[in-house]
Amino acid sequence: MNSAPILTVDNLKTYFFTDEGTVKAVDGASFAVQAGKTVGIVGESGCGKSVTALSILRIIQRPGRIIDGEILLRRVDGAGKSSEVDLARLDPEGGEIRAIRGGEIALVFQEPMTSFSPHYTIGNQIIETIQLHQDISKAEARNRSIELLRMVGIPRPERRIDEYPFELSGGLRQRVMIAMALSCNPRILIADEPTTALDVTTQAQILDLLREIQERTRMSVIIITHDMGVIAEMADDVIVMYLGRVVESGPVDEIFHQPKHPYTQALLRSIPSIFAEPRSKLPTIAGSIPHPHNRPSGCPFHPRCNERMAGLCDVYAPRLLPIGERQMASCFLYHEPEEAPQA
Amino acid sequence: MMKATNGGAPLLEVRNLRRFFPIRKGLLRRVVGQVRAVDDISFHINRGETLSLVGESGCGKTTTARCILRALKPTAGEVRFQTAAGAVVDTANLPKTALKPFRHQMQMIFQDPFSSLNPRMTVFDIIAEPLLASGMKDRDERRRRVENLLELVRLRPEFMGRFPHAFSGGQRQRIGIARALALNPSLIVADEPVSALDVSVQAQILNLMLDLQDELGLTYLFVAHDLSVVKHISDRVAVMYVGKIVEIAETKQLFNAPSHPYTEALLSAVPKPDPRLRSERIVLKGEVADPAQPPSGCYFHPRCAYAIDRCRTETPPLEEIRPGHVVACHRAREIELKGVEAQRAV
Ligand SMILES: Nc1ncnc2c1ncn2[C@@H]1O[C@H](COP(=O)(O)OP(=O)(O)OP(=O)(O)O)[C@@H](O)[C@H]1O
Ligand SMILES: Nc1ncnc2c1ncn2[C@@H]1O[C@H](COP(=O)(O)OP(=O)(O)O)[C@@H](O)[C@H]1O
Ligand code: SF4
Ligand code: SF4
Ligand SMILES: [Mg+2]
Ligand SMILES: [Mg+2]
Repeated sequence: MNSAPILTVDNLKTYFFTDEGTVKAVDGASFAVQAGKTVGIVGESGCGKSVTALSILRIIQRPGRIIDGEILLRRVDGAGKSSEVDLARLDPEGGEIRAIRGGEIALVFQEPMTSFSPHYTIGNQIIETIQLHQDISKAEARNRSIELLRMVGIPRPERRIDEYPFELSGGLRQRVMIAMALSCNPRILIADEPTTALDVTTQAQILDLLREIQERTRMSVIIITHDMGVIAEMADDVIVMYLGRVVESGPVDEIFHQPKHPYTQALLRSIPSIFAEPRSKLPTIAGSIPHPHNRPSGCPFHPRCNERMAGLCDVYAPRLLPIGERQMASCFLYHEPEEAPQA
Repeated sequence: MMKATNGGAPLLEVRNLRRFFPIRKGLLRRVVGQVRAVDDISFHINRGETLSLVGESGCGKTTTARCILRALKPTAGEVRFQTAAGAVVDTANLPKTALKPFRHQMQMIFQDPFSSLNPRMTVFDIIAEPLLASGMKDRDERRRRVENLLELVRLRPEFMGRFPHAFSGGQRQRIGIARALALNPSLIVADEPVSALDVSVQAQILNLMLDLQDELGLTYLFVAHDLSVVKHISDRVAVMYVGKIVEIAETKQLFNAPSHPYTEALLSAVPKPDPRLRSERIVLKGEVADPAQPPSGCYFHPRCAYAIDRCRTETPPLEEIRPGHVVACHRAREIELKGVEAQRAV
């Protein structure tokens, strides 16, 4: 199988300590990212996808804090010797994480408008990012910016570089965002809902662009989305999250064709399909996602699960454990409880 | 289901509807151009059926919906609506005061269940407001009706004293639907009613809308950009591009045998939820045309893989190429396009 992963997230816990109580936004997430591969993180709103991404980059705002877990970034030096740094231990204001942020690991957000400053041209913003990480002249940085804009399919980049963000359409802004993220040749690109605000035709263009760049640069991609279709198109490996936990993980084909966790199974059944009979009813998942302040005891999915076992699922919290060689799920249909009841 | 048409007249017939927005510039706010948001469209909806309006952002779906409800005054054209009394009225051209007697027969369901409900009103007040406005003075009668409506949308009547914030997105959308149904409308215009909802909740609301249609004989105009959702709910589908309708067909026909190149591209672009179907997609070049400066001829020609010289100069009319299937493309009869089933077979 694969060699050692380039990024390993192990038992990550990121909580928000708000006045109304503690929000366990990410509550023990574990997954690995292989070099040159795409990991898809999928789940419904509020399940902790974005907080996971922000935790990796150490840009969690107060009252949030990483309270446990490791985020291991692996590097290989010229002599082939590998070393690891635990991003969770770094000072979030320190020089080391600043160099990694936007350098080794870059981020693309959902809403490109809010991630640009409206007062500067897109050229100024890309040039600034480049000069932050690389010691090159402004003229060189400008040339590199034009090249990047060309690479992401912006027509007439020599002219467009001097435009302001509001002068561009949503699709073009997302391309500029990707160009900026690529400006320092990241090893890992995190794309958080990169196409959610776009139309399907523009989405197809952006997904194609991401794939093409990945083939060329061999970077790893973490794509975060609530859209199972985007996951099926893009991911090699998939992480399914529910209420801050990874409930299932595995290769994309297994996740879609042999899902193990009842939530993954129910989610796949309930998504409207373009192949459906017109006017056909959809199987549904009962209820709705609980409010973050009212997390269910035991298995977080138990109030909505058709297979829940009374006295077990509502009392003990299942752990993410292997099923077969390549898949993992956290569910008592596959494992016995091994801990004391959860407080 | 009440599919039968009353004396053959559709519940709603839109004829040559236009809505332009002036573009103003300078100190004097002089009109320097027009956004052709809705540009000469025609379609009908039969009683008891669902017609979906699909297309990319800015193509004019919401503007069309708002013109039909007369939330916007159309620039030109007719909106012929069959009232409960059986008369046909042209709501586009009636004075506002004359609209009043049948306005309640058309209702809207909104996209965002979070901003569309007044946070300071209880569920009872939200749903009872249209009842009161229509003259139902007796509070007990209103209470019974609200109870009824809540049961209809599968919410517990005990909830009626609560405020919207106590409800999830899906529950709020149910409250919005109950309010829309309060005055027994015949036409429901739903503008992206599930796109703000979580995936697992979308299915619940779509099923509810299908059930309500069967139970109450409702007619839906369903506005959406998500083609998978549209496939589930619609009897027929109309595709819009830059203010114009380019194709209308029965749902299966449109998805399996599209006849307009834009429809084909749209269907191809939808990510299919099966990794085994990763295949060559049609990726459209460029961007949607600006409705203030649409291209000459066929508006789609700068992006169309099938364009010929004629497409650059001549606007294709909307023509019926087989019963119930209309298309605006010069080449509709000669080109062979791929539907979603063909992509599944790949
Ligand atoms: N009040 C207005 N003034 C000026 N232009 C408008 C106005 N309302 C809509 N438009 C323009 O009309 C066109 C159609 O807009 P409309 O809101 O109908 O699109 P839509 O199909 O509903 O898009 P979406 O999928 O984004 O909701 C767009 O170009 C839009 O910018
Ligand atoms: N700044 C914050 N303060 C308090 N709670 C937060 C904050 N940011 C996120 N959360 C909570 O953390 C949980 C996960 O959020 P997020 O990762 O943004 O979800 P998503 O999976 O939709 O990206 C949610 O319950 C959210 O409300
Ligand atoms: S642990 Fe129990 S409640 Fe949770 S998913 Fe498995 S069967 Fe369902
Ligand atoms: S009329 Fe011409 S440009 Fe327009 S869709 Fe048909 S083939 Fe394409
Ligand atoms: Mg998010
Ligand atoms: Mg709209």
